Amino acid sequence: MRPMQVRDKEGEGFDAPADGERAASVAAASVRSLSKSFKAARVLADVSFDVGEGEALVLLGASGSGKTTILRIIAGLERPDAGSVHLHGRDVTELPARERGVGVIFQSYALFPRMRVEENIAYGLRIRGRRRREIKEKVEELLDLVNLKEHRKKFPSQLSGGQQQRVAIARTLAYEPQVLLFDEPFGALDAQTRVHLRREIRALLRKINVPAVFITHDQEEALELGDRIAVLHAGHLEQVGTPEEVYNRPETEYVATFLGAANLLLGVAGGGRVELGTVSLEAGAEAARFREGQSVKLVFRPEDVCLSIEGALPEGCRRLTNGVVEEKHFVGAYERLTVRLDLVARQPTEGEPPLYNVTINTPEKHLGVPIFVTRPKPEATATALHVGDRVAVGLTVFRVLPNFPLASERASSVLDTKGKR
Amino acid sequence: MSAALSTMRHVRGFDLAKPFGLGMVVLLMLPLVLLPLASIFIFGTSSGLGSFWAALTTPDAVFALKLSVVTSFYATIFNVVFGVLAAYVLSRYMFFGRTALIVTISLPTAIPTAVAGFALLLLWGKYGLIGKFLSEDHQIMFTPYAIILANIFVTFPLAFGVLMSVFETMDKSLEEASATIGATRWQTFWHVTLPSLRGAIATGALLTFARAIGEFGSTILVSGNLAGATQTAPLYIFAKFNEGQVEAANAVAIVLALFSFFIFSILFFARDWLETK
Repeated sequence: MRPMQVRDKEGEGFDAPADGERAASVAAASVRSLSKSFKAARVLADVSFDVGEGEALVLLGASGSGKTTILRIIAGLERPDAGSVHLHGRDVTELPARERGVGVIFQSYALFPRMRVEENIAYGLRIRGRRRREIKEKVEELLDLVNLKEHRKKFPSQLSGGQQQRVAIARTLAYEPQVLLFDEPFGALDAQTRVHLRREIRALLRKINVPAVFITHDQEEALELGDRIAVLHAGHLEQVGTPEEVYNRPETEYVATFLGAANLLLGVAGGGRVELGTVSLEAGAEAARFREGQSVKLVFRPEDVCLSIEGALPEGCRRLTNGVVEEKHFVGAYERLTVRLDLVARQPTEGEPPLYNVTINTPEKHLGVPIFVTRPKPEATATALHVGDRVAVGLTVFRVLPNFPLASERASSVLDTKGKR
Repeated sequence: MSAALSTMRHVRGFDLAKPFGLGMVVLLMLPLVLLPLASIFIFGTSSGLGSFWAALTTPDAVFALKLSVVTSFYATIFNVVFGVLAAYVLSRYMFFGRTALIVTISLPTAIPTAVAGFALLLLWGKYGLIGKFLSEDHQIMFTPYAIILANIFVTFPLAFGVLMSVFETMDKSLEEASATIGATRWQTFWHVTLPSLRGAIATGALLTFARAIGEFGSTILVSGNLAGATQTAPLYIFAKFNEGQVEAANAVAIVLALFSFFIFSILFFARDWLETK
C-alpha cells in the first residue's frame, strides 16, 4: 500500500497535473467502461475516467444520474455488469471492499455509534492487528490532523456534523487509503457550515495529498472542490474537465444548463457563421466544426452578454442583434434582465429544405426571442437600463453545439435550471 | 394573547368524552386485569405469611419453580443465539424462498400451544415419526428436554421478530463502512453489528424468558406432568388446584406473578437505556 505523506500546505506534492503528465504516470484510480443495470433500468453506460495522484475529482449529476453507483463500484460495495476498476494500476474489479484499501466517507458518516472518537479512528488498525503503541501514535497524529484532540473521548452523537465528518475522514486515513471517496459529503449540513467545511476539506486534502472522488449534485460545490469535474447525466459521462473548461466550454447542452444558467438559441451553421433566423453571427472555429447547413444551438451564459444603449459594443464583444429590455430584477450581487431579441425566422427560399429556426411565436404572441442577461453591480449603476430601452446585444463568449432532434421541444427557449446567475 | 386564549377555550370547550372515556377504560381494566391479580395476593396471604412460606417451600413447589427457570433459561439461550443467526441470514442475504422461511419461522405464534405440544408428541413421541427410531434410553418426550423443546417451539418467533425488525432497520452504511475499512464479515459482525443489537437481544431474551416460564399448553402435553420430575410451575399450579390445595397453588402463582411484573418492568423502563447505552 502506498504510504501516506503528510505534507505542508505549500508542499510541492500538490499541483493539479496537466493532462499530459497525468497520462504519463499511472492514475491513482481509474474506471474503464463501467456499465451497470438494476433489473431493467440502465444506471451506468460505458463510463470511463481517471483520477490523478493527489487530484480531487468531482462526479456531478442530478439524482439518478448514477454517480452514487460509480462510487459504490469503486469502493467494492457494488459489482459492475461490465468494465473494470484500477487503483494505482492494479485491477481490483474482483476484489471485495475490504481488500481494496479505499476510504469511503458516507453521507451519514457511518461512525460506529458505540465507539468513542478515538476508537472509531483506531478501528482500521485494530482489525489489522497492529500493536497497541503503534495504534496510539497513529490515532494521536490523526486527532491532531483533524483538530479533534479535545473530543477524543466523546461518542459520535455528541459531535456536530462537521466534527463527525472529520472523524470519518480520520478513520479512513488511519489505514492509508489509496483513494478517498466522498458520498455527498455536505448533504446533511446547513448552507453556511457547508461553505466553511468545503474549504476545510480542500485544505486538508492538499495537506495529505490523497486523491479524492467527490459526488455531489451541487454545481457550486463541484466548481469549488474539484480539480476536475465529471458531469454525469442518466448514466452517461457528458464531459470531464477542469471547472473552468466545464463551465466555459461545455460540450453538451446538458452540461451547459446543469452548471449554471444558459441561453439556448436554435440556428444553422454555415461558412464559419451561425445563422439565427434573419441574423448571422460570425462564429469562426466554433461554427467550423459543423457541416454546412447543420442544425445547431448557440449557447451562452447570461453574464457573457453585453448590452449597449448607444449601439456601440465594447471591444471583444461580438454583435448579435438588437433587443428590448423587457424585465429588470435586482438580485443582490448582480442585476438580471430579460431582453427580447429582434430575431425573426427567415422564410426558406424556394426548394430549400425546412430550416431549424428561431421560434417567433411565444405564448404572449410577441415577436422575437427572450434571453436572460446578468450585469455586475458597477456596470448596472454606471449605465442604468430601464424596461422598454432598446439596446444593442453582443456576446463575449459562446458555444455552438449540435442540435439533436430529440431536444427540439426545448428548442429556442431559455433554460435557467438553477434560477440563479 | 388573552383573545387567543379565549378562542382556544371556545374551540376546545368542555370535552365530555374525556372523563367519560377515561372512566370506561378504568372500569373495564379493574375487573379484567387488576382485580384478578390483586386477588392472588389477597388470597395467598390471607392466612398469614407463615403459611404462604410453608406452601412455597414444599419440595415439589421448589422443584417446579426451579425446573421452570432452568428450562426457560436454556430456551432463552437457544433463542438468542439462533435468533441472531436467523435474523442475520434472512436480513442480509436475498435468496429464493426467503419470505417462505420468514413465514415458517413466525408460524408458531399463530398455532395454539396445545396443538404445538401435540405436534411435538407426534414427531418425537415413542411412536412418533422420529421418536420411533430412538432407543428406549434416548427418548426425549416426558423429560425436561421436551419442556425445553416445547418452549423453543413456542417462543422462538418472539425473539426472532424483535431481532429481525432491528436488523432490517439498521443503517447498512455502518456495515459497509466497516467493510471498506478492511474488516472481515466476522469482524464487522462482532465489532459493529452485535453492539447495535444489544437492546434487541436483551428484549428478545426477556420476552422469551417471560413467555417460557409461564408456558402451559404445550408443556402439559410433552412433559408428562410428573411432580418432582417434569412438573413446571404452571403445571404445579394446575395440579394443586385440581387436588383442592388452593393454598399451594396460590403460593407458586404469587411467585410467578411477581416474576412477570419484574420482567415487564425491565422491558418497560430499561428499554431506552438498553438501546442507547
